[in-house]
Order: sequence, then C-alpha cells, then structure tokens
Amino acid sequence: MMDSRTIKEKAFLITIFILTLLGVTPVFYVLASVFYKGIEAFARRGLGILIKINGGILPALVGSFVLSILSTIIGVVLAFVAGLFVAEFPNSWVSKATRVASRSLLEVPTVLLGMLVYIILVVPTGHFSLLAGALALALVMLPYVMVHVEQALESVPQLYKEAGYSIGMSRAQVLFGVSVGIAKRGIASGVLMGFAKAMGETAPLLFTIGAARSSLPCSILSPGDAVPLMIFQYAQMPQEYYHDLAWAGSLVLVIAFLVVFFVVRRLVKEVRY
Amino acid sequence: MKGDKLLYYSLLPFAAVVIAAFILLFAVISYTSAPAIKEYGWRLFTSSAWSPSETGPKSSKYGLLAPLYGTLVSSIIAVILALPVTISTVLVIEEYAPPQTRDLIGSLIEIMAGLPTIVYGLWGLEVLAPILKVHVYSPLHQLLGFIPLFSCRPFSGYNILTAGILLAIMVLPYMVAVARDAYRSIPMTYKEAALAIGANRYEYAKIMMGMIKPGLIASALLGFGRAAGETVAVALVIGNVPLISSCLFKPGYTISSLIANQFSMAPLYPYMMNVLFTGGLILLIIGVAANSVAVIMISRSRLR
Repeated sequence: MMDSRTIKEKAFLITIFILTLLGVTPVFYVLASVFYKGIEAFARRGLGILIKINGGILPALVGSFVLSILSTIIGVVLAFVAGLFVAEFPNSWVSKATRVASRSLLEVPTVLLGMLVYIILVVPTGHFSLLAGALALALVMLPYVMVHVEQALESVPQLYKEAGYSIGMSRAQVLFGVSVGIAKRGIASGVLMGFAKAMGETAPLLFTIGAARSSLPCSILSPGDAVPLMIFQYAQMPQEYYHDLAWAGSLVLVIAFLVVFFVVRRLVKEVRY
Repeated sequence: MKGDKLLYYSLLPFAAVVIAAFILLFAVISYTSAPAIKEYGWRLFTSSAWSPSETGPKSSKYGLLAPLYGTLVSSIIAVILALPVTISTVLVIEEYAPPQTRDLIGSLIEIMAGLPTIVYGLWGLEVLAPILKVHVYSPLHQLLGFIPLFSCRPFSGYNILTAGILLAIMVLPYMVAVARDAYRSIPMTYKEAALAIGANRYEYAKIMMGMIKPGLIASALLGFGRAAGETVAVALVIGNVPLISSCLFKPGYTISSLIANQFSMAPLYPYMMNVLFTGGLILLIIGVAANSVAVIMISRSRLR
C-alpha cells in the first residue's frame, strides 16, 4: 500500500507533466495548421498569387520587405547607440531613465505606438505612408534590440577591456574596437530578433500604412500594405478566396520567422568567451 | 578623461531619444484623450453605449465600460489558465526533464513567443474557435449549464472565453520566461536544505514555489499586461459586441479590439478619435502599472 504522501507525489508529478504537455501542444497545432492550410491555399490558387498584384499578395510582400528593412535601420541605430550608452555609463541618471523608458516601452501595447505615430506623422503630413509604419515598428523593436545589445556588452569580460586600456586605448576605442567586436554575435542576434518582431507586428500598422493593396508602393512616402495587416483584414472577409490568401500570407510569415529563429539559434550557440 | 566626456556626449542624444519617445507617447495619448474626458466625463467609464453620430458631440453616445470589462475578464481568464501551466513547465524544465527534452521544450517556448500574433489570430478564428464550440462549449453548457458562467447557449465559438484561452496560449511563453528566471535565482543551498529534511518531490516543489512567490506574481502581472494590450488576435475571436454578461459564452469587446475596429471610422465622427485615445490611455496605464509592480516584485524575489 502506498501512503498518502506517495500518492500525492505521484498525482502531482502526473499533473505537472500533463500541464506542460498541454502548454506546448498549441505551438505544434498552430504550426501544423499554418503549413497545412498554407500549402492547401497555394495548391488551390497557384504559386502565382505570390507575384500577383490584384488578388495576390505581392503588394503585401513588398510592403513588409520595405517596412522591415526601414524599421530595422531606424530602430537598430537608435537601439544600438542607446544600448552602448546604457552599458558603458550604467551609473549616470540618463542611463537609468533610458532603462526605465525602454523597459516600459517593452510593456506598452503595440497598438499605442501606432496611435502615437498617427498623431505625430500621419495627421501632419495628411496621408498614410510606409515611413510612418516603419517608424511605429522601429519603436516596437527598439526595446528588444536594446536589451540584447546591453546584455551582449555586459557579458564581455572586464579582462579584455583592461587589456585594451593597458595598451593605451581610449574608452571609445575600447568600446568600439574591443567590446563591440567581442559582443557582435550577441548584438547581431538581437538585431535579427528585432527584425523578426517588426516583420510580424500588425497593430502598429493599422493606422499608419493605409493598407493600399491594389498597387505597389512607389516610394516610402506613399501608402502601402504589409503581410500581417493583409491577413488581419482578409481573415474578416466572407469569401473563401481571401481566407486562402490569409493562410498563404501566414505560411510566408511563419517560414520567414523560423528562418530568422534558427539563424539566431546558431549565432547564440557559438558565443563562447 | 576628456575622451570619456566626448564619448558620453556623443552617445547621449540617442539615449535621450528613447526617453523622449516614451514621454511623447504619454503626452500625445493624454493630450488627445483630454477633449473626450472633458466632454463626456465619467459617463465614458460607466456606460457601454456606442452610438456615434456625425451631427455633434451631444447626440453621440460613447461608453468604454463593456470593452474595459472585456479586457479585464479575458486577461484574467488568460492568467488563470496560464499560471498552473507556467509553474508546471518551469518545474519540468528545471528539475525533471533530461537535458535534451529541456532544450526542446525551451526552443518550443521560444518559437511560441516569437510567432507573429496575427498567426495566432487567424488560427484562433479558423481552427480553435470552431473546435472549442463543438467539443468544449456545447458539452460544458449541457453538463454545467446551472453555473452562471456557462448558462447561456454558445451560439458561436467567438466569445470572451475563446479570447481568454487564445491569450493564455500567447502569454504563456512570457510568463514561463519570468518564472524561470525567478526559479534559477534560488540558491543551491536552499534546494539542498529542502531535500535534506526529506521532502519528496511534491513537498520540494511546494517549498520552491513558496520561495519564488514574488516572481510568480510578477509573471502573472506581466502576462496580464501583455494580454490586456493584445490587439489583432483578440479582435478576430472575441466577437466584437459591447456586452457585459456573467456568461463566458457571450461575445464581448476589448479596448484594444475596439480601437482596431473603430479607428478607420473615427475621423468621420466628432470626438470618436478622442474617445479611442482615452481607451488607449487606459491601456497605457494598465501596461505601465502592471510592469512597475512586476519590476518591484522581481527585485524582491532576488534571493541571492
């Protein structure tokens, strides 16, 4: 006979294993659905929807591409230098305030960043634009990249920096020549994570890019479309055809995310000091 | 030293931009919501009426109560569902799983955290909600219909409970990350002490969870904040009806899904934009408050 203590322990173990399994099941289910329905959509509508403008997803693909590049440039420059500052001068009050601001931005609902850009850029210029969307996305990725940059720089051993100082390098030389060099993989993975984040966000684009999907954007100042926004709006349409396009878009988005994820994985795994 | 100052001042502007962005966010959202609060006052938060009119502010009615209710209820459901799973996952990863399984679960959770939210939304709309309706909600209503929570007939899968379940899935990886950090901060000596007094695995886990209680509270708060701010995924599954009901099978609305759905029409109606920004202000306050308390909890949970 088992005593009540042992029974309790067994019941507890079974419960937590079941709950853990339950917790990770959705990710398989979501991925399986996206691959199944996405491939089905491509099979039904043809691969041509990738390069079709009207009734295809080309404008969204182009828009997403432009948006992720542009927002990465804006966001990464800002996050990289701000991250350098915070890691290099951790005791300055500006650093402390910057840290608080970036941690808070991390928890701010992303839809609010779209609303901010709507007021400061879309309303004054009078029209939606890819640039406005990129600015909103840059604000979304900023805190993510900053955290990665800070952590990567903080993990650089003091010994290496001292070696730099001992041969007469200035603080700036040590920072850019030694620390950034050693931390570059960590920084690169942060940049890629930010890129992935910007690529998949929908809410900041609702009020900034204008969902122009009947033509290709001619410049970054003209309205455009993005894959996540297209999925959101097509999912609410009654026609089967648009649902297929939404699943096809999801498949593209998920594959792009998985590629970035595994690249980051490799980068991080090889970081050994 | 001179070079130090130069470096300091050349990097400083970028850090200042980050601070400015956050202050600007607060300022713009508060400033834009002020006219609505002035015009409608407390009625904004105590009524659920939503009938915009082009003619003027007097003839239109705006109330954020139902969306506020929906935001709170769906986020609370998400945290209640996700917390036990969070605790189990942390224990399994940190204590019981062999290294390879541990890495696998860790990777899966990271993929879960990184998947675009719109993908969860589409999946919730087309896969999860229909399944829940047929296999969970209908049986639940038939068996436990006497409980007010399940008393109404589930006409579709698009309701507050579905939003809560989808949000639970989406916030789980964040909650696991926070709780896992807290768990790792438990010093080895405490763990050994618990084992030395003969605790079995259940008692051991109970003691450990007691030690990281502030970390678990932080995890729940951050999960709640995330859930409250989630926009597009919720907008696709909650049904988007401004309704307050004790029954979880009724459709609802959340502040963020209200913003997502109404923003495009807002410029046509006087004050509607301002009302939506008031909703945004509420979200901002919820987000910052949840984050601040969580940060305090995390600093308190540092055992080392």
